[in-house]
Amino acid sequence: MSWNRVAVVGGGLIKFGELFEQSYEQMAAGAFAAAVESVDEGFEPTQVEAAFVATQRGTLWGQEGIGGNTIPSAIGLPGIACTRIENACPSGSDAFRIGAMAVASGVHDVVLVIGVEKMRDKSAEEGLLARAAAGHPIFTRGETAPVLFAPFATRHMHEFGTTREMLASVAVKNHHNGALDPYAHFQNEITIENVINSPAVCSPLHLLDCCPQTDGAAAVLLVSAEIAKRYTKNPVWVAGFGVATDHPYLHEKSTFTSMQATEMAAERAYAMAGIGPNDIDCAEVHDCFTITEILDIEDLGFVEKGKGGVASLEGDTSLTGRIPINTSGGLLAKGHPIGATGVAQMVECWWQLRGEAQDRQVATPNGYALQHNVGGRGSGVSVVNILTNKRSPK
Amino acid sequence: MISSINILAVGASGPDWRLDRAEINAGWGSSGGKGQVAVCAPDEDALTLGVQAALRALDASGLQIDIVDGLWWGTSRPPFAEGPSHAIMARAIGLSARSAGALCSGSTHSGMEALFGAADAIGSGTARVALVVVSDALIPGLGTNYETHSGAGAAAVVLVSHGGNATLGARVTRTNPYLDRYRGDGETSTRDFYDPRLFREEIFLPSMQEIGEHLSVRDINNWSIPDPDGRLGSTAARQLGVKNLVSDFANTELGDTGAAAALLGGIGSLDVAGSLAIIGTGGGRTSAVEIKAKGPVPGASEVRGDISGGTSVRYTAVARARGQLVGSGETVPMGVPPQSAQFVRGGDEMLTLLGARCVDCGTINTPPSIHPHCISCGGTKFVLEQLSRRGRVHTFVINQTMPAPFVAPLPIAVVDLEDGARIMLQGVGDGSDMEIGMDVELILRRYAHERGVPVYGYKVKAL
Repeated sequence: MSWNRVAVVGGGLIKFGELFEQSYEQMAAGAFAAAVESVDEGFEPTQVEAAFVATQRGTLWGQEGIGGNTIPSAIGLPGIACTRIENACPSGSDAFRIGAMAVASGVHDVVLVIGVEKMRDKSAEEGLLARAAAGHPIFTRGETAPVLFAPFATRHMHEFGTTREMLASVAVKNHHNGALDPYAHFQNEITIENVINSPAVCSPLHLLDCCPQTDGAAAVLLVSAEIAKRYTKNPVWVAGFGVATDHPYLHEKSTFTSMQATEMAAERAYAMAGIGPNDIDCAEVHDCFTITEILDIEDLGFVEKGKGGVASLEGDTSLTGRIPINTSGGLLAKGHPIGATGVAQMVECWWQLRGEAQDRQVATPNGYALQHNVGGRGSGVSVVNILTNKRSPK
Repeated sequence: MISSINILAVGASGPDWRLDRAEINAGWGSSGGKGQVAVCAPDEDALTLGVQAALRALDASGLQIDIVDGLWWGTSRPPFAEGPSHAIMARAIGLSARSAGALCSGSTHSGMEALFGAADAIGSGTARVALVVVSDALIPGLGTNYETHSGAGAAAVVLVSHGGNATLGARVTRTNPYLDRYRGDGETSTRDFYDPRLFREEIFLPSMQEIGEHLSVRDINNWSIPDPDGRLGSTAARQLGVKNLVSDFANTELGDTGAAAALLGGIGSLDVAGSLAIIGTGGGRTSAVEIKAKGPVPGASEVRGDISGGTSVRYTAVARARGQLVGSGETVPMGVPPQSAQFVRGGDEMLTLLGARCVDCGTINTPPSIHPHCISCGGTKFVLEQLSRRGRVHTFVINQTMPAPFVAPLPIAVVDLEDGARIMLQGVGDGSDMEIGMDVELILRRYAHERGVPVYGYKVKAL
């Protein structure tokens, strides 16, 4: 039986990209305004009782040790309760989960979940993990972000015959979707040849196998189920969620063909929602690299282990496929402003379940959409959130 | 009574890279030049070369490492001008915290000083097993004639009071306050001779003559003679009437290996019974010692193979590796400053390569300091053990995109070790030979050199 104690009544984001002209605060204000604007029956900003802000790294824009108080002033609500959530790449999705729990606990009736990330205020060399040394001084030396994922690609190719064409097909599909998404960083189509012939970044991954560094912000408004109808006739419910961790160093992994944090988080979320992977109509999953999406769709149970590459190449995950994945363009095309990523994925799921995804709209006969992130040292943190447009339990 | 001083085993190592003399000459606008010199890759230095030679000698000796009483290390250029060079090498080799010994440094004669120091410790009875390591990786001044002859390499000898197929015999030293090759305080590279003819006529050849005459009465077949410029070695040998100049092989393969040259040039000939004289020189001092072998010395037959090979590289790569060609812009510092607590807690376990084996389930947790609980079962009782140095690649990447000071391509591999531990480390070289299932060994390399501190750790190398 789905949880359904919390409703999503608003959601919005700003156009992702290299937003050199916008400050962190301006991006936050833009996303909040978009979320407020989206509420069907109107929303007075002062109704927000508490905010949970996801920002993964203050150091990326010159602010170390930032706290929750960066947001209230920026969105015109100084004084409200606000807490910053930092949980690696799932920061946004975990802020969503924590916001939902804050509402479900009865402490708050109206909560803002907002993700904001400045990735491009510093040069690429100074960006996330580009310094290639985080954590243990020897075991992580030379470990840029792709090093956390590329070993899975090498092993997946070795064990299952996954090819570079299969990896590339993920990027091609997500760029196609991104070209239909006015909020995406990249809005151009690419070909499998483009991906394969792009410069090598970290073999076997090439440039177009990797997500860009993107600035962005996104926000959603959560309210308790009891008062949802004040805001909309078409609410979307939080059906379930799960978070899980795995060992932080790659050499501690027992397998390089699945991400165990994803598997555990999904199991918990499905159990809470009372459904299984076959009930999901569409999903926004963590495609920081092409291999990650292939692992995700296997680990989330959408395709058999080892078949993620073939499924991608054959179009199973396209807008018209059996299980559309990353209709927004995903991290590969829409971009990956880390703290904002998970929240923006929730917005896409919200739109899909309300039939508002425009050219990207897919059929949602079951009424369930899934959102997923995985990341951190050794991809050791994963969050899965499941939304539904069905009020009554399945 | 002074005990006899015996050689139980020997070992040698050479660096990864070879540089053609013609490459160097072309860099300075002249053509021609035959032969090559051995050069350290960016992650090698006198310490890593020495450790490798020491492990080979100890392996050939069949001894348990913990019975070694001390390390006598001779090198012109220890990794720290002042600092824990000796302690780091001793621990990386696996010597116990009680081990004694000395670091002899300051000139290319230091190799002989280390050998004599160890021999004296055996002779006096203060040590029963002494490990001698001689290694050098000098940095010659750019554009000097010395650049085309300065090589790199290491040798190691296990000395014992009892047993062994070879024995150290007569030794001789001559001292004169001459200036030959030198590096002033605070200078980064070694200066060449002020006047090569002056050195040849007034210093080198007379010293060799005097020392050689001392030993030539003793019926010696094989000679290891220093060769600072590619000609002087054979000239001195001719003067002395030497027939078997056995150091030719190492000199041709590696160039002048400085403090390592005397032993490195000679130990390969200990694979059969015979007599050998080795001569070392530098810093105004010249020494020689006679070695008599009554049979093959373990490790001697491996020397040629262990110092041969190497990857041919361009002059610019060498200049970059030596820190003589430096890119503009900021480089990425170590994630943790080397003097910080993390290195105090974790430095020793990374040098000795320790794992914590869970008493309950047998899983090896690496490194111990970050695993208060077992990653498999949560257990808290561990036995510390040295990890196996061999294993097989489970998966890997080749990183092509990194900021300075990293140089692409950088292989990084997840390796399953023979003892069941899994570890992820950088690979040596460009990774073009790497594949899943490949058999590899773990060897000590220099990961970074920052604020004057060399940071050592293990890397993966194809077997």
